[in-house]
Amino acid sequence: MKPFTRSLHTTLLGATLLASAVATPVGVALAQQPSSVVTVATIGEPPTLDPVGVTSDLVSIITQHVFETLYTFDAEWKVTPLLASALPTIGADGKSYAFPLRTGVTFHDGSAMTAEDVAASLERWTKLSPRGKSVAPMIEAIAVTNPTTVTLTLKEPYTPLLSLLAMSNGAAAIVPRGVVDGAAPLKQFIGTGPYKLLEHKPDQHIRLVRFDGYASPTGPASGYGGARAAKIGEVRFVPVPNAATRVAGMLAGQYQFADSLPAEMLGRFKNSTSVKPVIVKPFGFPLMIMNTKTGVMANQTLRQAVLAAVGPSDMMLAGFGDPAFFAAEGSIYSQGTPYYDAASAKPYREGSPKKAAELRKTAGYKGEPIRIMTSTQYDFLYKMSLVAQAQLQAAGFTVDLQVLDWATLLQKRGDEKAWDAFFTYHTFVPEPSLITVLNPSYPGWWDSAEKRDALAAFNRETDANTRKDKWVALQNRFYTEVPSIKVGDFYNLAAATDKLKGYTPAPWPFFWNAELSN
Amino acid sequence: MFVYVARRLAGMMLVMLIVAAVVFVIARVVPGDPAAVMLGSSATPDDIAALRGRLGLDQPLYSQFLIYLSQIAHFDLGQSIFLNRPVAQALAERSELTALLTLMSVSIAVAIGVPIGILSAAMRGRWVDQTAIGIAMLAASVPSFWIGLTLIKYLAVDLPWFPVAGYGPPDASLLERLRHLVLPAVALGIPNSALILRFTRTSMLDVLSDDYVRTARAKGLSPLVVVLKHALRNAMIPILTVIGLTAAVMIAGAIVTETVFGLPGVGNLIVSAVLRRDYPVIQGALLVVSGIYVLINLSVDLLYAVVDPRVRY
Repeated sequence: MKPFTRSLHTTLLGATLLASAVATPVGVALAQQPSSVVTVATIGEPPTLDPVGVTSDLVSIITQHVFETLYTFDAEWKVTPLLASALPTIGADGKSYAFPLRTGVTFHDGSAMTAEDVAASLERWTKLSPRGKSVAPMIEAIAVTNPTTVTLTLKEPYTPLLSLLAMSNGAAAIVPRGVVDGAAPLKQFIGTGPYKLLEHKPDQHIRLVRFDGYASPTGPASGYGGARAAKIGEVRFVPVPNAATRVAGMLAGQYQFADSLPAEMLGRFKNSTSVKPVIVKPFGFPLMIMNTKTGVMANQTLRQAVLAAVGPSDMMLAGFGDPAFFAAEGSIYSQGTPYYDAASAKPYREGSPKKAAELRKTAGYKGEPIRIMTSTQYDFLYKMSLVAQAQLQAAGFTVDLQVLDWATLLQKRGDEKAWDAFFTYHTFVPEPSLITVLNPSYPGWWDSAEKRDALAAFNRETDANTRKDKWVALQNRFYTEVPSIKVGDFYNLAAATDKLKGYTPAPWPFFWNAELSN
Repeated sequence: MFVYVARRLAGMMLVMLIVAAVVFVIARVVPGDPAAVMLGSSATPDDIAALRGRLGLDQPLYSQFLIYLSQIAHFDLGQSIFLNRPVAQALAERSELTALLTLMSVSIAVAIGVPIGILSAAMRGRWVDQTAIGIAMLAASVPSFWIGLTLIKYLAVDLPWFPVAGYGPPDASLLERLRHLVLPAVALGIPNSALILRFTRTSMLDVLSDDYVRTARAKGLSPLVVVLKHALRNAMIPILTVIGLTAAVMIAGAIVTETVFGLPGVGNLIVSAVLRRDYPVIQGALLVVSGIYVLINLSVDLLYAVVDPRVRY
């Protein structure tokens, strides 16, 4: 061997040995985590930690451990008390809601929760939250009645109020009145929840630690309601945007929970003895929103033609692949939920190219391009839009599919002249009036007189059974006027370590009442 | 030398001013709205308009630009719309990771590329050379995200030697953080080593055919001395250039690797800022990165004089 080659060989051998020496103990050290820490791999960095101003699911997932609302939802999606001690006393005219407050509740800064804090927080909610702002015009007053009661008076009866107050996004979070600064976002994140914020390093981690002074509601745990116990010392949320990395991190034991995994990753967990997949039903539904205000899709008959032209089953299959993760379901609420109704969703399955062609002719369509906005940022939406494009073209429509990044789509959809349809998705909401397309100011701008009447009747109704009937009437309007196409239901795949005990699958995963076994 | 450095630094100021203006314009010209992203998909146009007002995004562009220039003049990069902290702080928080990752991956690229490049040139046309060229082609062709995912599968999941992702728990020591960077540095270093290998080989081949190398061999010097002492030093200028450029590109260009390994580096910060249209972060980060880029190039130019005494400034 020549001297030059020999010296190179020696160097390479040395480097290999050094690398092995460094690598070997690393995994052993890093695979271990303190047993009281649960590391949750999330899809990214939340835009804020103030749950009032935004309706982001990621914000809800994290902040629901820190902030609490007067009410929340139980396992059957019924409103149940959280910071309130009972359901409100509603006046005979249906306009006044007296909220009785729990006593002995303390904020993370050690101060006691008072009726004044609650009133200030509700006022803030009406100014900052998209949900609160939607109710604000109907609110006459929010007042402290006595040290343990706050009364909200409406100008007219509005049944969804309690559900709005129970939501964890755009949340009516109760905070000390000292941190409330009009409609400005929070600068201090002080709540009453079982966990308090220890540290937020953007793009690295959000550390929530057990709040020892937590006062739990009573009663058996049910959904988000009932008793809450912080059995885990620290819940640490880490942004891991790459789904394959979230899966690998679960399999390697670096994370104890990973959210929003692609359905095709399910097979990776089948041979694992330490990780179990979690399928969350109901979770959400994709929507093809149409512009009912301006342009070619403002024609109701043409929207009906589009509904007849597309095949939702094909779109769902393209979007999610594995039938375990979706259902081609036209009812806005899926089977097993209180507002499920298949009969009023009949047009969902009546589609055919022939019917589409007839409706297209009746609508007077002359081949104007239908501008459909979509984004690759949500892969399933992009795949669905490709299928919809092909189906619409096969039915004789001219389609201009515009592939945009999500931020551009969000901006462009505010311009009524810039688009005819766009793809988005809606997370499951327990109260129908929270569905965005029912809001006339939401892009798509569905606002016919008949829809307004149907929605008003639904929102006024207090009896649960009659309310279901009113919802069916509203869903009928949805399928008559076709402001959007509900493509189907999809489910969420998450994964948890088998050491995580007591975890309850939920659309917005929570970790109180869960614990890590040894 | 002093005059040369001063002149280059003055030029750097001009470059950064141009970068500031161009980035400001491009960020605003591209469609998308930070207010819409922040409020989420359920937000109505009224909500978005209200937030735009609070963020000052409803002011005329020239007014926003003047505010931005005034901030730069006061060495203030502004406040991030999303991160709830100054841009300078957000960059500082990510600088340690980015600096270490760049250093480690460049070291790996150099450790692989330079010796094999030299060996390949010294054994031109033989099986060692052919193999090295083949491996270099392969390494340059394989995307770093694939290398990253493969390394994760085999060295973090199947054999739990390294962590899958992240920069370590909050109380991690520097050594533990360095261990988190081993796989990303390898994933970044391998494709870049191919570039350095090719440059080293080409540069060495040029030098090895020179008369003085032939003379050195004729004098009976050992091949190791001829290659490492006489030829390598003269071949170093192009090699240094490519190493400098590689390091500069990695500072903000390790985006894919940072995403795969869930690393909160500068590249990730810039991409997140672009996706969220966090204008102050886009502007501030690109300004700083362009400054570092120019400084690295200046350092490489100064190093020329160290490796080659004929170079004078």
